[in-house]
Amino acid sequence: MNALHEQFVIEARELIEQATDDLIAMERDGCAPERIDRAFRAFHTLKGSAGVVALPAMTLALHAAEDLLAAIHAGRLPASAAAVDQALACLDKVSAWVDDFEASASLPSNAGDDARLIAERLRALLSAPTSEGTAPAVGGAAPAGALPEWAQALIRAEGVTIAREKLPHRPCAVCYEPQAGCFFDGDDPIQLMRQIPGVLAVRIEERASWPPLADLDPFACNLRLLAICGADGATISNIFRLVPDQVRIVEIPSDAWPRVPAVEAADGDVSALVRAVIAEQRRVLQIASAPEDFVGRVGAAARTAANALRHGERTDLAAGVERAQTTALAQGSTAPLVSALAAILERPDVAIDSVDAPAVGLAAAPADESERRVSRSLRVDEAKIDALINLAGELIVRKNGFAHLARRAEDVGTDTDFARALRREHDAVERLAGELHAAILQLRMVPVGQVFRSFPRLVRDMALRLDKKVELVMRGEATESDKTIVDRLFEPLLHLVRNALDHGIESSEQRRAAGKPETAVFTMRATRTGDRFVLEVIDDGRGIDPATVRRRARERDLMAPDELAALSDEQVLDVIFSAGFSTAAEVSDISGRGVGMDVVRATAAQLGGHVSVSSQVGVGTTVRLDLPLNIALSRIMVVEAGQQVFGIALDAVMETVRLTPDRISQIKSNAGFVLRNRIVPICSLAEAMNLPASPTAGLETRLLVVTEVDGRIVALEVDAIRERLEVVLKPMQGLLSNARGYSGTTLLGDGEVLLVLNLREVLP
Amino acid sequence: MTVRRGENGTIFLEGDCTVEEAEPLLQMLQDAPHPMLDWTTCSRLHTAVLQVVLAARPALIGPCGDPWVARWV
Repeated sequence: MNALHEQFVIEARELIEQATDDLIAMERDGCAPERIDRAFRAFHTLKGSAGVVALPAMTLALHAAEDLLAAIHAGRLPASAAAVDQALACLDKVSAWVDDFEASASLPSNAGDDARLIAERLRALLSAPTSEGTAPAVGGAAPAGALPEWAQALIRAEGVTIAREKLPHRPCAVCYEPQAGCFFDGDDPIQLMRQIPGVLAVRIEERASWPPLADLDPFACNLRLLAICGADGATISNIFRLVPDQVRIVEIPSDAWPRVPAVEAADGDVSALVRAVIAEQRRVLQIASAPEDFVGRVGAAARTAANALRHGERTDLAAGVERAQTTALAQGSTAPLVSALAAILERPDVAIDSVDAPAVGLAAAPADESERRVSRSLRVDEAKIDALINLAGELIVRKNGFAHLARRAEDVGTDTDFARALRREHDAVERLAGELHAAILQLRMVPVGQVFRSFPRLVRDMALRLDKKVELVMRGEATESDKTIVDRLFEPLLHLVRNALDHGIESSEQRRAAGKPETAVFTMRATRTGDRFVLEVIDDGRGIDPATVRRRARERDLMAPDELAALSDEQVLDVIFSAGFSTAAEVSDISGRGVGMDVVRATAAQLGGHVSVSSQVGVGTTVRLDLPLNIALSRIMVVEAGQQVFGIALDAVMETVRLTPDRISQIKSNAGFVLRNRIVPICSLAEAMNLPASPTAGLETRLLVVTEVDGRIVALEVDAIRERLEVVLKPMQGLLSNARGYSGTTLLGDGEVLLVLNLREVLP
Repeated sequence: MTVRRGENGTIFLEGDCTVEEAEPLLQMLQDAPHPMLDWTTCSRLHTAVLQVVLAARPALIGPCGDPWVARWV
């Protein structure tokens, strides 16, 4: 993947997020013009980027969505739930494609079909008959107003000639604009056109007027190929499957068809016909041709245009055309006549495409918007920041070595001034290194709003599916935490949201019956207290009944009955975090499989935090995730066992105790002791690590580190306890990455490598 | 060669006219003041060649030998 593609993936994801936010907000708060405008721009930019990396299918889908938003912006369509749904569905697809593109640098083979389907759905909303707004100035052809301009022009130009033939049930109009470079790709656009079955009419025209022959590039395609045919849309789509972005296919509704030949259509499509005739004359005049043809061409064009205008009972305009003809002949240039015809085409009483005009205006807006908001942030690869953190971490470790040196200088005591100066310098370096490390860690801090952002959409969709009314309140989105933590919050939060919406929040009827407001309030709140980052998920639903939890836990054998009975009502709620627990009577597609809350607890533990729940029956439930603010710096305790040094995460250490042999009791082959009325098993760390036990073992006072891992309390027997340190933990790399029992390594002040234990894997 | 200039200056398109014919055809059309083009024996026309014909609008002799082009263009 090259840099351009990488940039595209990053940017596309940001734009998708932004557009999703705006769409949801649009639906919730109504259509503030800025919102629609922002959403529109996001789609527009996204479409442009997709074009740059040559993803025609993506461009096609986004283009349709863009048109829909343009229509909403222009007030031609309401921002209905259906419209938002379709636009969101389009974003979902695009998001999946971005993932595919990132993985394989291409879109799946069915992307074209999917794109067309999305585009069709979006366009169906656009062409849905709405009573007001779409009726064009031309009377009688209202549904034709929904047809794009090119299709209308094609029908106007070709419809008359084929109207007499027996028309198929639903004819289609095709507009194929091959890319300029298509010949280089080996394309032969006519070849595709030849394959269209049941052709009724074909038109091949230039997209931009032809340059003088000397400047013509024979290898740049400047053609627009149009056709009307009796084949159905799917067949045509299949023919053009490789160029979905370059082809447009519309079904022509029967009432868009000129049912009767031109003469009798006089009371209907007059201005449309007149307009088409005049446009054609203008086109003919703009084609470069030999000077000797000039007089004839101007004369023929002016005569045709004037006659058409008289036919449309616009004698005043016809006279104007004849005046322009005289001027053109006098000046020897077609320009006066061309501009006169153009002026007529622009008159609102002759123009028929007033429906499309606002869309054009809006589409042009982003292009000439010169003061694009410049983002004040800098995008840096996460790996670079991590490298910086590692360096700063090593600096701190080295600085610790410096302290060692300063102490030695003081101890030797020959030059106290030197020792003092060294100490001073050390203090300064220590302060700076600390600040540097903190500043770099700050770089990794990201607002939790990043992960909150996905939830308005999720909550909306889920509430719709469950037919519940839920208001999502988010607080403290700006609260920052380490990126690793924020990134991993999504999954636990997702489970919490699912559970709350599915089980916690009652249906509208139940809420009414309970005397609660029909709309439930679901709150996600992030706060920072000291060095902890606290995330609360609060619902005002039915609450969790401790009795139900007890019953379920018994049914599912999650706990011994006597253990369960010993728990207080508050404590028993924690059982919901056990694997396999579910209060749901049946598994729904949203939740109830009993895996969710387990994941919440496991993730919180992995991040060095814990989760708790409080609930009041009938009032609501609060789940609280208590997490560290950053995880780059870990606090460890250094211990010795079997003549080696190990680190233990301080989070897991409850206390350290010294025991005389008489306090230790042997239960079968296991040793244990009683600590505050609890039996705590003793496990020798040396033994667990397969190291020779120290020779003094079992003779004298024993040193124990009492640890708690996953709620299990175990005392680790060690030979010595050394200092406590704040270290930068590096994950095990290379060959060692598969070594079990370690969570990482760090360097000690004297340069020794310290292995930090993963107690979960070490303990039997 | 499927594009050639006849003795009287008429340009002939013959047989299967591929994308390669577009440039020589354009060259010939540019060189001739009032070009005539005979495409009756052209059996198949590539889009690029057709584009040159549409842009240059030479005087055409007879219908195009490519049935699709003759019918629809």
